Amino acid sequence: MNPFLNKPDSEFASGNSTRRRFLGSLGGTFSGLALGDLLAREGVLSGTLHHPPKAKRVVQLFMAGAASHVDTFDHKPLLRQKDGEPWDPGEEVELFQSTPGACFASPWDFRSYGESGKQLSDIVAPLGEVVDDLAFVHNLVGKTGVHSQGTLLQTTGFNFPGFPSAGSWVSYALGSENENLPSFVVLPDHRGLASNGAKNWAPAFLPAQHQGTVIRPGKAAPIADLFAPKSNFITPQNDRAGLHALSQLNQIHAAARPGDDRLSARVRSYELAASMQLSATDALDLSREPNCIKDMYGLAPEGPGVDDTEAINEKAESEFFGRKCLVARRLLERGVRFVQVWSGNDNGFPRRNWDSHGDVKRDHAPLALGMSRGASALIKDLKQRGMLEDTIILWTTEFGRMPCSQGSKGRDHNPFVFTNWLCGGGIKGGTYGESDEWGFRPQDQSRSTSVYDIHATILHQLGIDHERLTVRNNGIDRRLTDVHGHVIREMVS
Amino acid sequence: MRLPCQSSCLIGIGALSISVLGHSSPGFEKEIAPLLEAKCLSCHHSGEAKGDFVLSTREEAFQLAGGIVPGEAEESLLFQVVSGADPEMPKKGKPLTEKQVALLRDWIDTGASWPESRVLNDNPERDLDWWSLAPLKDPRLGSSSHGNPVDSFIEAKLTGQQLTPVPEANAQTLIRRITYDLTGLPPTPEEIDHFLTASQTDRELAWGNLVDRLLSSPAFGEKFAQHWLDLARYAETHGYDKDKPRNNAWPYRDYVIRSLNDDKPYGRFVQEQVAGDVLFPNEPDAVTALGFLAAGPWDFIGHWEVGEGKLDGRIAKHLDRDEMISAVFNVFQSSTVQCAQCHHHKFDPVRMEDYYRLHAVFAAVDRADRVYDGLPLEDQKRKEELLSQINRLKQEQAALTTEVTRLIAAKASGLDRRISELKEKYGTGLKPQYGYHSQITKNQNEVKWVQLDFGKPKSPTEIRLIPAYDQYNNIGAGFGFPIRYRVEVSNDLLFQKNVRLLLDATGEDQPNPGTNTIVLNGDGNSFRFLRITATKLRERKADFIFALGEVEAVNEGGAANFAREALVTAKDSIEAPVRWGRTNLVDGIFFRELGNDKALDELQELQKRRAEIEKSVRPPGTDSRLSEIKTELESLQKAASAIPEGKLVYAAATHFPRGGRFTATSGTPRPIHLLYRGDLTTPGDLMFPGAPPLQQNRSGIFFPETEWNEGDARAELARYLTNRENPLVWRSIANRLWQWTFGKPLVGTPNDFGRGGMKPTHPELLDYLATTLRDDPGQSMKSLVRLLVTSRAYRRSSGHDEENAKVDAGNSLLWRFHRRRLTAEELRDSILAVSGNLDRSMGGPGFQDFVIEKPQHSPHYQYHLHDPNDPKSHRRTIYRFVVRSQPQPMLTTLDCADPSMSVPERDESTTALQALTQWNNRFVEAMSVNYAKKLDANDPEKLVTESFRQMTGRLPSMQEIEILSAHLKSGGTASYARVLMNLNAFVYVD
Repeated sequence: MNPFLNKPDSEFASGNSTRRRFLGSLGGTFSGLALGDLLAREGVLSGTLHHPPKAKRVVQLFMAGAASHVDTFDHKPLLRQKDGEPWDPGEEVELFQSTPGACFASPWDFRSYGESGKQLSDIVAPLGEVVDDLAFVHNLVGKTGVHSQGTLLQTTGFNFPGFPSAGSWVSYALGSENENLPSFVVLPDHRGLASNGAKNWAPAFLPAQHQGTVIRPGKAAPIADLFAPKSNFITPQNDRAGLHALSQLNQIHAAARPGDDRLSARVRSYELAASMQLSATDALDLSREPNCIKDMYGLAPEGPGVDDTEAINEKAESEFFGRKCLVARRLLERGVRFVQVWSGNDNGFPRRNWDSHGDVKRDHAPLALGMSRGASALIKDLKQRGMLEDTIILWTTEFGRMPCSQGSKGRDHNPFVFTNWLCGGGIKGGTYGESDEWGFRPQDQSRSTSVYDIHATILHQLGIDHERLTVRNNGIDRRLTDVHGHVIREMVS
Repeated sequence: MRLPCQSSCLIGIGALSISVLGHSSPGFEKEIAPLLEAKCLSCHHSGEAKGDFVLSTREEAFQLAGGIVPGEAEESLLFQVVSGADPEMPKKGKPLTEKQVALLRDWIDTGASWPESRVLNDNPERDLDWWSLAPLKDPRLGSSSHGNPVDSFIEAKLTGQQLTPVPEANAQTLIRRITYDLTGLPPTPEEIDHFLTASQTDRELAWGNLVDRLLSSPAFGEKFAQHWLDLARYAETHGYDKDKPRNNAWPYRDYVIRSLNDDKPYGRFVQEQVAGDVLFPNEPDAVTALGFLAAGPWDFIGHWEVGEGKLDGRIAKHLDRDEMISAVFNVFQSSTVQCAQCHHHKFDPVRMEDYYRLHAVFAAVDRADRVYDGLPLEDQKRKEELLSQINRLKQEQAALTTEVTRLIAAKASGLDRRISELKEKYGTGLKPQYGYHSQITKNQNEVKWVQLDFGKPKSPTEIRLIPAYDQYNNIGAGFGFPIRYRVEVSNDLLFQKNVRLLLDATGEDQPNPGTNTIVLNGDGNSFRFLRITATKLRERKADFIFALGEVEAVNEGGAANFAREALVTAKDSIEAPVRWGRTNLVDGIFFRELGNDKALDELQELQKRRAEIEKSVRPPGTDSRLSEIKTELESLQKAASAIPEGKLVYAAATHFPRGGRFTATSGTPRPIHLLYRGDLTTPGDLMFPGAPPLQQNRSGIFFPETEWNEGDARAELARYLTNRENPLVWRSIANRLWQWTFGKPLVGTPNDFGRGGMKPTHPELLDYLATTLRDDPGQSMKSLVRLLVTSRAYRRSSGHDEENAKVDAGNSLLWRFHRRRLTAEELRDSILAVSGNLDRSMGGPGFQDFVIEKPQHSPHYQYHLHDPNDPKSHRRTIYRFVVRSQPQPMLTTLDCADPSMSVPERDESTTALQALTQWNNRFVEAMSVNYAKKLDANDPEKLVTESFRQMTGRLPSMQEIEILSAHLKSGGTASYARVLMNLNAFVYVD
């Protein structure tokens, strides 16, 4: 090395002035540095919403595998009457896996709940307590009966990959209320990812900070890389000291390169990372939640390790889903904008998702009982904290299941009609849209509801005109609602 | 050809009606219809009906009161909105010319005749008046033509804006910059020293030598291939549901690296990736190039499990072609043709017909493994022929069985429910002692027997044959029960004399008894030996056996079963306890479906009814055809498997073995229809191969015939793309090469040169580069890169200047160089390099930095289980096995490309999660340890100086040394290395 040719950082300003500026800035932490908007948690619509919002945040409960509407929320007495008889919907039906079998009555009884007298199946009975707050849409239609497409359609509004998740759009529009936590958080089922995996919370062409951050409550490391890994050399002391040295060095580097906000933003990103360690840890710490709350959410005494290896069971499902709902509430309290909660893993064997081709009774009972307990608790809990009025909860799945049987005890996919429900954030309880007498198609096929309408309504409640939240990508002004979508006016106050 | 025929007929009708009506007004057909079709119909057609005014048919056009008032143009809304100083219509596009307005007025004033049968269609004019569609101009060079021409263009703009470019960067900044830009790796300290010394004597010469060295380094191809693979949406799993691995995707990645290193002419590079197999049939590389078409996501379930027999499968196929077409046009043409799927392109001259013509071009191809090398061409042809025959038969087979299944399910699923209820309630389960099992044979007509010896003559009144039950190959009930057989008794051990026949079922094939017991009456006489002889064996799995669960020989009333004491012999037997053995035939243990006799009766009755349904719905001839197919398939498959596999690449393909319901076309294009609103349930006209015309009044159709060869269509598209007169393709690549060296493109939307995109900051420069590349006999990308990096503009400092920033804060005019962050791959490669772990071996299957769990169904790609010290994963990041559904967490956080879409430009975000991943990721931790091992702690000052220079390309300042030394002392070498790997000075390239 020729020390005369090799130089220290001398190109961007004279050495002395750099030194002076650096020394001046170190004393006042970051005050001397101009921060760009790179790390700003503001959304593009912060302060410029299209109309006054009713809601501030969203929870999306996603039943992976396709939950059966006719066994949960959409009561069809005709199926009981015609159970076992050949099913004739009056048209040729093309199913995903099978050919249509006989009429198949739900294995569960339905009872009425609430002032509305809404009929719910026994496996979603825990939602009876809050049923009057729920806005049911029983005439939702999908595009195809393929899981990956159906899942993407519900999460991104497109049935093929390459588009931002609804959570990314909301984060992009509204930003975060808490810069120490990600604005969009995903709580996947711990047993695996749904179809398309991370594409369901990817930002696609939106900036990367709007991707969903995966949190796995109950795991040793719930957030990837939040803390130092197991290491033979990292100690709390050198971790802290290293960050301090890094900050100083990066400030010197930034100070020598004026006019480039990215450099100081990167310095700041390490500060935020440190704050996130504290905030996230706090948000995920359930130890100080009172027992009555833990019980309400259905948490198991033995914690997240409750056993489901032998068979899928209600206790385990309540623990898994309830814990995520409770964590969701804590995240929402701390300013997270959008939380996606998944129930059910990928298509493994034995089946631990909602894709009940083989046996609806075996799979749906534990999943639905666990889900409805957690969801009901979340609604009640938000309500008692005064947060339900500005938090929207959306219950969805990729499509429904058929009124006829597959094999003898299962149901095949039904993209022709299925159910969503919404709650909170100015949504009025009730039923908006019915399916036909079988639960096969919308009652009025000319007036069905689509995911675009659901998304448009949610955005509307957030103060956003879904037609005006656009980003140009590859020549098209892209929207969450593509070129479709109508706000369901009757549903919103 | 339907389209031209249809329109010529319509012209006939129009002409006829005019002559009959005798108007001398403007001809509806000749003047008015084209005008309305070009200007109005895109919004005012039956499907869209904007403003409730529809101009598709006469009836609709006159429906709106005051819309068209015959004889009174001034009173007609249609006339009012298009005339006047500031006409309201058309909303999009140019207003009507005076002549057109006058024609419309005349037409209405003279009665607005409109032949009843004439239906108007949306037919907008192609507005080609747009910068990117204009022919390439070879701009004359500016005044400083003695220098690098790039600088003439750049400096002319700077001067025009009174901007003063900043000075040249210093030599150590320059070598770091260009080494990263051209190779994606940091310069070594030795390389820096060498360049600094050489620059002392002759800067230009040193720079030229450096550029040449880097361009000829194999790392150049690795670095530039990453840019290309981002565009090509390259990954090694399918994506969507299940996300299965593509184990033969990598040859395409190697093809890209090799092509860039070999400096393949750009036109050839494009042609190969669209139609290499057709244009260059004898070159393996030209087949691997087709990996481009297949590189994007693929819906395994939609193709394999659903299939094109169902609407959902056809939707999946449609989306699949759309993905391919979009890739071709976004990448090569910077054109967004996919916007014309549901309607004509809103901004650009691309019509729906153009878009669906492109579907026709790709109508015969799918994504699959195909041979690119290692198999002579004639063998390949032979294999393709066999595959198409096999596929045809399999399709027929599937159609026949599906139909039978459909018919049965419709009638029997109620029965099935009851059957499974009975089984669930009364089922006894399967005991492990199955019964007797012969040796396996390939010959179905081999005679086999099993025999009982009662010890002395007995007179059983009933002989019961109970079939075996084994789920092997999903057979279950009646496993191995002979198709033809006889039952004989004798007192002769060898059955050579005094043989009496109890049952002769050798004359014709017997149905499988399932779980039903076959009951024979004794003949009243006594016998010592009972023999069951199979003359036609039942299939097991491409082979044949004779099996039986239990034999009983009972006396009147069933009080005694003589068989329990019998000795069993057989011609041959498999003795595999506990399941199979001769003695299991008489052990009293056999599969009994239900434990309740009443239930069993019901079950048998139901099963009988089911069998009757099955028999009654089976169309005649089905069975014999199915067995013919089976025989044919066997011989074809044998012939196919005799041909070696060859080397495979995952690429666009027309011949591959059928899997699930995914069937190759064997080169026969699927029919493609124009789809209004992209809806497959309402197909419009049949479409033929073509592409958006690039000149006015040119036809977009490739062939005059309505039958075409799929390969020819792709070849034609390849020629269309690489045509000298195609301005888009050359501008597109010139813009990208600029972007890959200068960090930002001249056109800010590199995949969209349409009206929805941005305009070039330096249009003449772009055209200069485009024509230079096009007209270079070698169409050399390296030469163009050399031209760019030897400019003054490339060598400017990235330093700030207040005055310039006031005018051009975004530096779009290049008064300084763009400082950039290392890409995710560069960061990882650099860390591996400095820590001494980087394995520079090139090519071959990708390394996996994850562990696959549950590979059978939906593989789980578990990154956290991978050991970062696994040397197999220490190759350059471009050789990574790229997973779609579960992207590599660290690289994703650091903004690597999402392979579900074509990514022309990386995002450069700065987030807290990035800080966390770069500080805490196990890879960084492990490499910090490895790097620390290389550092000599005995000489801290030297250590700090040298390691800092290795990471950042320069010496540390006194302050930096102070801080680093302090941390080295307190935190140790590994912690010190961890800090270095997080430095801004490392992460940013000046």
